[in-house]
Amino acid sequence: MQILSENTKATPGIYTDLDLAREVLSRDRKATAEFIGRYADPVAKYLRSRVMPRVDLVDDLAQEVFLAAWKSLGNYRGDSTLKSWLLGIAKHKVEDHYRRRLRESLVELPDDDDILDPGVNQELRLLGEMQHRWTWEILSELPENYGLVLRWRYWEQRNASEMAELTGRSEKAVERLLYRAREQFRQKWLDRDGARSAKAKETA
Amino acid sequence: MNSDPKQFVDDIWEQSSDAELPAASSRLKSQLYSRMIETQELTGPLVQLGESKAHGRKLCVFEQIMAAAPVKSVQEYQYCKICHARVLGEQVENAPVFWPNCPYAEFQK
Repeated sequence: MQILSENTKATPGIYTDLDLAREVLSRDRKATAEFIGRYADPVAKYLRSRVMPRVDLVDDLAQEVFLAAWKSLGNYRGDSTLKSWLLGIAKHKVEDHYRRRLRESLVELPDDDDILDPGVNQELRLLGEMQHRWTWEILSELPENYGLVLRWRYWEQRNASEMAELTGRSEKAVERLLYRAREQFRQKWLDRDGARSAKAKETA
Repeated sequence: MNSDPKQFVDDIWEQSSDAELPAASSRLKSQLYSRMIETQELTGPLVQLGESKAHGRKLCVFEQIMAAAPVKSVQEYQYCKICHARVLGEQVENAPVFWPNCPYAEFQK
């Protein structure tokens, strides 16, 4: 592991990302505390968003992220911010988690094409705050594999082909899962919207 | 509203963000710090306290005393291991730890 040499030390009191990385690498306990203090929040927020409703996984994943960061900190060259670099590690850990969980759940998927025709067309008003809250709430209500596949698809920008490769399953199986996840997400959204409209009519 | 589930979810997702989530708990930060220091110690001694201080880092009251010791191993030892602040910080959210420049106290903020 690369150790900080005398001539690369940071100016006292001023710590750029690269300085901080070098000091952590040199096993400076105070720099390590600053490292955790600066980056635990964004890493934990990111992890929480990706594994909800399984927030019980956040602490373990965060530990994995920071320990992996320690092991590869010698490779950090300051080309990106430390935060982006750490979130990149977090993304890998999340994808490992998705891969594990979906690999298990895809095994149980029936091999037929019993996809329902949505056939529902209601008017929906998307209001910023409500939409944000509903998205989170519905994600938490969905079966775990549906929530995972939607997050993986939309937040990590992985397409069905990539997910299939990463999970060792067929692209068709992933597409079926995605279809069902989207359909259930949409149905839950419509149910909520229907309930909201009915309530609005009652109070009118 | 779109009746195609794919387009429907695509549209919803495009407008959703994940900015308003809870930050890391102080317990998690404390546990991460303890674990990381333990892991660092497996690869070699920690930077001496006097060196950290010379480098502009602030020491807690206990570390300041130890930083004056002329013995290398005394300066390299991680005193947090035997400090009540670590135990409290790792176990209790918003732990009553108020020592200035103590990492476990800083994580409560």
